[in-house]
Amino acid sequence: MSEKGAPQGLEPVEELDLSSLPNRPGALHDSLRLNIRGRSVTLRRFQHSPRGLLKWLLILGPGLIASSAGNDAGGIAIYSQTGAKFGYDLIWVMVILMVSLAVVQEMGSRLGAATGRGLLDLIRERFGIDWAIFAMAILFIANSGIVVSEFLGIGAAAELFGISKWIVVPVAAVLLWYLVIFGSYAWVEKIFLVMTLVFFAYPVAAILAGPDWGEVARGAFLPTIRPEREYIFLLVGLMGTTITPFMQLFQQSSTVERGVARRHYGPERVDAYAGAIFSNLISISMIIATAATLHLAGQTEIESAADAALALEPFAGNAAKTLFGVGLMGASLLAGAVLPLATAYAVSEVLGVPKGVNLDFRRAPIFFGLFTGMILLGATLSLIPNLPVIQWMVAVQVLNGALLPVMLIFILRLINDEQLMGPLKNTRIYNLLGWGTFTLVATAVLIMLGGQVLSMVGVIK
Amino acid sequence: MVMVSELLRYRVTDPKGHHTKLVDLTISQLDTDYPLVTHIIYRLPDQKGEAFLPWKIVKGIDHATRQILVESHKPAKEIDTLDQAVRLGRDVLDALILDLQNRRTTRANDLWLEEEKREVHLTAADTSGRAILRRLVRGRFDDRERRALYDWKYIEFLRGDPQAVNSGAPYHGRIVRLPPGEIAHLTSTIPYLHAAELLALLPKQLAADVLEVMAPERQLQVLEELDEAFAVQVLEHMAPDLAADIIGHLDLKLAQTYLNRLPKRSGKRITDLLKYAAHTVGGIMTNDVVTVSPRLTIREARSVLHEKLKEPDFVYFIYAVEDRPPHKLRGVVSLRQFLTAEDDQTVEEIMNPYLLALSPFDSPTEAGYRLLNSQLAALPVVGKDGELLGTVTIDAAVAQVAPRSWRAQAPKVFS
Repeated sequence: MSEKGAPQGLEPVEELDLSSLPNRPGALHDSLRLNIRGRSVTLRRFQHSPRGLLKWLLILGPGLIASSAGNDAGGIAIYSQTGAKFGYDLIWVMVILMVSLAVVQEMGSRLGAATGRGLLDLIRERFGIDWAIFAMAILFIANSGIVVSEFLGIGAAAELFGISKWIVVPVAAVLLWYLVIFGSYAWVEKIFLVMTLVFFAYPVAAILAGPDWGEVARGAFLPTIRPEREYIFLLVGLMGTTITPFMQLFQQSSTVERGVARRHYGPERVDAYAGAIFSNLISISMIIATAATLHLAGQTEIESAADAALALEPFAGNAAKTLFGVGLMGASLLAGAVLPLATAYAVSEVLGVPKGVNLDFRRAPIFFGLFTGMILLGATLSLIPNLPVIQWMVAVQVLNGALLPVMLIFILRLINDEQLMGPLKNTRIYNLLGWGTFTLVATAVLIMLGGQVLSMVGVIK
Repeated sequence: MVMVSELLRYRVTDPKGHHTKLVDLTISQLDTDYPLVTHIIYRLPDQKGEAFLPWKIVKGIDHATRQILVESHKPAKEIDTLDQAVRLGRDVLDALILDLQNRRTTRANDLWLEEEKREVHLTAADTSGRAILRRLVRGRFDDRERRALYDWKYIEFLRGDPQAVNSGAPYHGRIVRLPPGEIAHLTSTIPYLHAAELLALLPKQLAADVLEVMAPERQLQVLEELDEAFAVQVLEHMAPDLAADIIGHLDLKLAQTYLNRLPKRSGKRITDLLKYAAHTVGGIMTNDVVTVSPRLTIREARSVLHEKLKEPDFVYFIYAVEDRPPHKLRGVVSLRQFLTAEDDQTVEEIMNPYLLALSPFDSPTEAGYRLLNSQLAALPVVGKDGELLGTVTIDAAVAQVAPRSWRAQAPKVFS
């Protein structure tokens, strides 16, 4: 006879000896006491919400991803150019933009949490189909252009390490595609977050470059304006690459998909802030790394991100080249997935069709079809040799620049809508910072557009 | 008759030939099949600002010259009452709608109006991409044959405000005719505020059934947006194990409020389940089970169980449990055995006493496999003194064993 009484299922259930069973589980399970109907009850079902560092790490998500995706191939090129050409002089712009970016991205995520809708959903509902289609069309064209540059970045980074782009680009495209098509939102978000770790390559490169930190501080906090055409153009370019429409779109739509509800929004804003601070610190490290090496050595002409990596080698050694190469690869991969996603969100929202990484091809054919199409387009075009990519990028920048102030107006008007936002409406200080950013960006865009027009008619070159 | 996007480009003309711009139309009776157009809103001829006129002042619509002919431009005096009115252009056009015929969520790309006996009704929505195109090109190259009009009767218009239902906003409510799974499926593609509004629209029991099958994150978002009294009623009508799942994920404060406000019986059931950690058998069992005393005859048992069998989701097994504490589990009778037994037999005679029993502190995955291997619909969970605590059903077992992507789609047998 067994020690535990009758064996289960072979003798009547009433004869089972269960006295060895514990009355309550051991210390393994957390418990907490709640007062229910005047009686204190010990409950073990409740999950303790994480505290301390873990809590803040878990909040990181759309904000960090969106802002980091802004440090893509095009971003790296312009930050490297800035450092190479003007040394530490323009770092102050990035400090100001850090605040602006934080404000703009936070408003995006707040809009998402308060309404449960994406930015273009709201634009269509509040400002009509015409504006929605306008924004969608520009975003679609501009983002298609940028996606090509991301895959070019992937190819260029691969060739830095001596691997053929004909292998790496298709493999990268398939991997990104597979991740988004078959992954859930939570899974995709985690992978993206891990990818942002790659950006730590740049601070390392900056420190290895051995900059004069006093000069860095001067550049960061003492604004200088030089009446040179190139200086102004780079200044404007920095604004254009740091704050881009696709980042706001992605921030808002993915905040919605993450399931952030208005009642729990409070701590979530840290994500947007952290993203803006992190991504701008990374941009600043790129400027520092190139300023301390290329600028000092008088090598001031940089065309692309891969150029920067190659140019660094003779001055800062193989390590710098490797770090920039790794950074370029990671950044291009991240943006190569985020951009098609942002576009797919935008188009689906305007057309009013189902969207979301959590759905599947069957339920959201347009969303996933667009995503697939953009990846395919980016990868294919990037492999065709001798395409006039630099000229495209200029056109894309003009388009994005023209759209940005319009988007900011929409965001600021929506976020001040009492009926829509309730208690999450903008405060006065936010409006001040928001409209300040708008003025900054609008001025920059006017200068850029003016410059484009003048150079087109041949007044300036 | 005409598309709203087209009509909104018409001018308002009085008998003297003065033109002014039409701004919008208001509708009422959104709870009827075809809501009625009640007022036109137009720009005042000379001054800035808008004015209202009741629809009855419209003498006719001239489609050839794109004019709405009115008796006069003099604004009506009842302006203040129209602030809350639903406007076709501002509120309904481009809004999120549920197309119940096709079981999908979409946007009202355009709206179709029909005139009958000088009254104009909203009768259909165009959800095609063509409608967007038509609006972009301002109605040029319109191909009337290729409109995709869906009967407004089968369209539910949502406002995106969970409180709208409470403040008396009218709805068709046809959605209540759909099975809970389909409603839950529809809510997965709309913003959470719309989903909460939709849930608030349903009768309590249906709302509870819908909430049961929603994705876990969605459940929390939606429940928190519901009016507290309604949320408590929905929780009360849910299976206690699923209600405990939700409450276990809420903020402590809110959870405490709900538990205190729930009626005593369902409140106790849910609280009892919350005593077990999520990753134990106690954390996946339900305690809403049908029990009967083993000494009763089948005839007696039938009259006792007549009421008891109405409520719980899981009625497939009836457990024979002793009358006296500690209410030891003695055996099980399946519903089929119970229905086919002779009146004079006792429960004890027909019950199966040889049971596999689970402990509330067992591993839920192990229990899941054990249940699936046994090919039974459920296994009882007993405590230290042999008392029946609840049962783990096949649904809970599948949820433990199936891969994550599969869980949402796995059919629920007992709900």
